[in-house]
Amino acid sequence: MKRREFLKISSLAISLTTGMPAFLARAAAQAQSMAGDKILVVIQLSGGNDGLNTLVPYANGAYYAARPNIAIPKQEVLTLSSSLGLHPSMKPLMRFWDTGKLALLESVGYPNPNRSHFSSMAIWHSGDVTGASKEGWIGRIAETIGDPFCATNFGSVTPLALRTNELILPSIDNLDKFQLKLPQGTEKAFEQIMGLPRQNDAEFVAQATRHMISNTAKVQQNLSKYKAGASYPENNKFAAKLKELARLVAANTGQRILYTDIGSFDTHAGQRADQDRLLGEFSSGIDAFMKDLDSQGLGDKVMVLAFSEFGRRVAENDSAGTDHGQGGVMFVLGAGVKGGIYGDSPDLEKLNQGDVVYKQDFRGVYARVLDNWLKIPSKTIMGAEFTAPAFTV
Amino acid sequence: MLTPYSRTLSLEDAAHLVRRTSFGGSATKIRSLVGKTPQDALLQLMDFTPSENSKNPFDPSDAVNKNAADKIFQAKWLFEMIHGEAPMREKLAFFLHGHFAISTEKVGSPEALDQYLGVLREHSLKPFGVLTLEIAKSPAMLRYLDNDQNKKGKPNENFARELFELFTLGVGNYSEKDVQESARAFTGWTFTGPSKKAPNAKLQFVFQRKQHDDGNKTILGEQGNFTGDDVVRIATGHPETAHFLANKLFKFYVSSNPKPEDVAALADVWTRSRGDLQQVLTALFTSSSFYASKNQVVKSPLDFVVGSIRALELPIQGEGVYQSLLRTLTGLGHAPLDPPNVSGWEGGRSWVSDGALLSRIQTAASFTLSKKVTLNTKDLTLALLGSETTALNPIIQKLTSPQQAYLVMISPEYGLM
Repeated sequence: MKRREFLKISSLAISLTTGMPAFLARAAAQAQSMAGDKILVVIQLSGGNDGLNTLVPYANGAYYAARPNIAIPKQEVLTLSSSLGLHPSMKPLMRFWDTGKLALLESVGYPNPNRSHFSSMAIWHSGDVTGASKEGWIGRIAETIGDPFCATNFGSVTPLALRTNELILPSIDNLDKFQLKLPQGTEKAFEQIMGLPRQNDAEFVAQATRHMISNTAKVQQNLSKYKAGASYPENNKFAAKLKELARLVAANTGQRILYTDIGSFDTHAGQRADQDRLLGEFSSGIDAFMKDLDSQGLGDKVMVLAFSEFGRRVAENDSAGTDHGQGGVMFVLGAGVKGGIYGDSPDLEKLNQGDVVYKQDFRGVYARVLDNWLKIPSKTIMGAEFTAPAFTV
Repeated sequence: MLTPYSRTLSLEDAAHLVRRTSFGGSATKIRSLVGKTPQDALLQLMDFTPSENSKNPFDPSDAVNKNAADKIFQAKWLFEMIHGEAPMREKLAFFLHGHFAISTEKVGSPEALDQYLGVLREHSLKPFGVLTLEIAKSPAMLRYLDNDQNKKGKPNENFARELFELFTLGVGNYSEKDVQESARAFTGWTFTGPSKKAPNAKLQFVFQRKQHDDGNKTILGEQGNFTGDDVVRIATGHPETAHFLANKLFKFYVSSNPKPEDVAALADVWTRSRGDLQQVLTALFTSSSFYASKNQVVKSPLDFVVGSIRALELPIQGEGVYQSLLRTLTGLGHAPLDPPNVSGWEGGRSWVSDGALLSRIQTAASFTLSKKVTLNTKDLTLALLGSETTALNPIIQKLTSPQQAYLVMISPEYGLM
């Protein structure tokens, strides 16, 4: 189905463009000039994933000295190079490494690091390192290409990344329940209610309701295109979410960016048990997700980008955990990726207040994905030029 | 100084007060407040003396395992919000729970949850410094933010940081050094409780002197060999705290975009009363700004669920129904004692998304269509929308009462309060 057609579809014949922000109405009337068919899946590792126990500097004595209780023993590390290896729970991702489809970016962060979860997360979501902006980078993509359905969050609350002052992109938490059925006898009255004049917050809610009606209709019409192509690990909520994302990818309803999260990685105490489990759920979930897409011939459309709001303190604390830190590790995986380890490994002899010093600005990573994968000019979205090593094909 | 509202309450005023402060109420309850002064109406709602509803069927000690105990405890609180005699106390406790967030998953003890909620209820109209200290010493918070692991020589900063960032000063008003020094002051704060050796031991705060770092510290410009009590005193008495909390109260109870002069005026009340919550809340809920803010708050899922049941006086009973309500709230991201993270709930427009709107519509159907709603149109819109004469009335009045209730609940207007 073409976008222009779906814009006409509405189970209630409510005009979608009524009360729509001008930029969207304008764009809806345009052809899909900036549209492409590449999809980016963004995964948020909430709580601050510890980078050093993820991409382990197993040849570095300072690492073991700083973490007598929680370091990953050398013999357990999945070797990637003469100095670095992956956490053993990430074994399911090794097939991507072996085929050159997994890129790891080291010491990623931003200037004047903030150790607050919320401030730092807001910075990653907005791309504004002062933390003042309330406009998410994915929300700005939607405004720029003029498509309020170009991205979807999988969860109950839309994160800042998918919002702007004028727009909140959709969140879905259950695809099968994602449909509106009004009981008989109420349709006409509902249509009249939706047609009442409104202002401010009431208009905002009304508009969101119209978007939802149109969006549900479109998704339901296309869900049957999905043919299950892999079994997902059980008792893994993250994997269950990825399965729903795979259904959305297969539905091919125009979402170019899909967003979801896993956590909590806030391992102040007893880090090994929690992080080991989470990295395992993360890795086995992604493994199944990519298998599923591959079997449907969709694998070459999807790139996965994973980030966390910060890394953690180099030295362990007395609770066998780690406190909030600075630079961390990002993953890029799947189609369009040139595998390898990029950036400089943390210098554990030269720390900033006990933390890994950031060397790669995360905005450069976004920029490269925007320019080279999504084919959306990064300068328009990020507000300036940012660079990153060539981790894309 | 906040300008006091000088009139007696109209029907719309009364509905507004009940909806905002007390999870809503029936048309009869609303009408009973009409003609009262703002002070008298508030005093009636602000009576926090009633004990918990004796008919509350939920008892966590009946649970077969921890997970079930957590769920039963959540249902117990939900029951109190719906059927309790002091709904304003429960809503205020919920606001404070979002402020001093903890989660069942990490706390892992119904007894600790019970103590924590008890502190929120008992101290919600006391000086903020007293409340904060009680919360800081509650086993639930000591566990949730890892202060039970905070020891001399190897401090755990988690609680100290959130105390400044989320509970008192707000981000940007303290330094990393303040966090580190305060973490040292909180060393040795932990709790003891039942164990295999002592199954009947009381769950309570203990100060382990040997684990405490009693060295000199500099915190927010003050110097001394401070303890955790000192840090709480310094942080809660700080001028930024007055502003931070005044802003948060306005956003939760009054408007998602409060006027800066209103926030400053409430902060002033806070400072002059040394953070006395009874005085601060009284000034807020009797102000003309409060009464001028009708329909300026995006309704939260909890207000949607609890408020609708109370407004429609739905006969909600039975364990299964409560489990279903909790599932709905979990799906909407607003189950009590299960916040998304340590900053509680963001609120405002963040509640609006496709999935959330759809889930509200499905909940509205389950509340109204199969139930015996018999209210007339005026009572219905008064209880749900705060007025007997809304733009919806002429559209819905020829339909059946359940259909009317359903349509009101799925209208964009009902997304606000």
